[in-house]
Amino acid sequence: MAAISIIILFIIISIFISFAIGANDETFATVHGSKTLMMRELLILATILAIAGAFFLGRAVSETVGKDLLNISISNSIVLTILISTSIWLILSSSLGAPISTTHSTIGSIMGIGILIGGFGGVNWLLIIEMSFWWLLSPVIGYIASYVVYKLIHKGIISRLNGFKDFERTEKIFSYILLGVICLTAFSRAGNDVSNAAGIVVGLGINVDLILIISGLCFSAGIVVLGRRVIKSVGNITELVPTSAFASEVPTAVILFVGTFLGIPLSGSHMLVASLIGLSKARRAPVKKGLWKIVIVWILTFPMAALLAVLLFFPIDFFL
Amino acid sequence: MKSKSEKSIDEIAKEYNSEFLKGAKRLNELMKDFLENKLDKSDLDDVIDAERRCDRIKEKYIQVLFQDKRALPFLVEDRYKIITLVDEALGKVEFIARFLKIYPFDLYEDISGDFKKMCDTCSVLIEILIDSLELMEINFDKAYEKTVEIENLRREARKVRYKLLGVIYKKTDDPIRVLLTSKLVNNVYNIIAWIEDIADYLRGLIIKYPTR
Repeated sequence: MAAISIIILFIIISIFISFAIGANDETFATVHGSKTLMMRELLILATILAIAGAFFLGRAVSETVGKDLLNISISNSIVLTILISTSIWLILSSSLGAPISTTHSTIGSIMGIGILIGGFGGVNWLLIIEMSFWWLLSPVIGYIASYVVYKLIHKGIISRLNGFKDFERTEKIFSYILLGVICLTAFSRAGNDVSNAAGIVVGLGINVDLILIISGLCFSAGIVVLGRRVIKSVGNITELVPTSAFASEVPTAVILFVGTFLGIPLSGSHMLVASLIGLSKARRAPVKKGLWKIVIVWILTFPMAALLAVLLFFPIDFFL
Repeated sequence: MKSKSEKSIDEIAKEYNSEFLKGAKRLNELMKDFLENKLDKSDLDDVIDAERRCDRIKEKYIQVLFQDKRALPFLVEDRYKIITLVDEALGKVEFIARFLKIYPFDLYEDISGDFKKMCDTCSVLIEILIDSLELMEINFDKAYEKTVEIENLRREARKVRYKLLGVIYKKTDDPIRVLLTSKLVNNVYNIIAWIEDIADYLRGLIIKYPTR
């Protein structure tokens, strides 16, 4: 293929990946659920933070996808297949309003490619089993953390409030803290996720700033177009007010940060959903409908991403 | 935006409470005139007008209450329930004014003392209720004390009610007068009982909120 065609193709793929990751971004779910911000305000803020995060933090190009997980030599077509199939599954699950783990989807695709090319020996199963321990543990950690934090907030603050005004004041304070934490999370997440998408076009001779801004815009377009469904469905898992949203969001963000720092592959989406369930248990509030849909999409993530990778590999390999 | 609407909700609530209190006090004054047989029935329109004004204020209150999309959902729900309960109490006050307007008899002299006592208790209870409503915003403990006061006064009023009815039912004169007078007593007591129901609801909220 001509060089210019390859550049255009890679830019389109990068845009597609950015859009897909943005579409499955549930960062603002608790802000929406607790009515700290209305959907329109939230989308404007998410857009600004996505572009800013992409521009200021998106320069770190991520490592080669699937480097340690595959026992086969990694070609450009393999990398693109993994990224495209992951993105397609992200978009499909986003259109269903289900937040999924991008890592799970990527690993599903890697498994599909690995088995397709190298048979069962093509995948580093030992590493996958090791990682799966954390995948199973992520929701448990999220559940326990939000349960404990909510109980502490309840005992230390809520049970001591006196009068409606006191409740309003406290919830207002928590809404500001929550918003601050969410903004930081959204900013850093945009930087991190956009670097994954932009990574495939960096080095093709295009201005990096331009790439990052375009990726940031596509990431935010993903949030606006499909991400709102995910935000709504996660935000409505249980009734939220700023204090309870804080109890589910902040421990999740902190544990995720520590996990990333220690190199533990925790899933933010799984932790957040589980933390909302833990919260509903702590508050003795019902879990609303729609949770099963999310769980089913989670279960389908590995096989579907693998299947998509298998279906897409040969066409992509043919074009490249 | 939020603090502005919160402020106006407070102002509207105060305006409503003040109108309610005015209407209730006016009815109590007119009841005294009625007992002294110098009631000008057209004055009862003051109470009816107060109820109308309160109705308009209530509409405004509900509009502002639901306008604030960021308000805590449980608080909106509870405030709405409170205003509708209080409005029902005012409706009962207005009903007495209208009833008195068409009541064609003088009150039996032998029950006027206890009836006045019951009317005074009703007026005091409305004042305490309004105090407790204002305290709900800032101090649950004090609001709780007020609800206990309401409960005690209602108990006394119940005794007075049955005492009054005991006397009225023994009357052997015009049965319509007996019937309508007993209705008048019951209507005043209905306000008292309703205020206690509101107090019970407030007490439920006071217990519920810290467990939220």
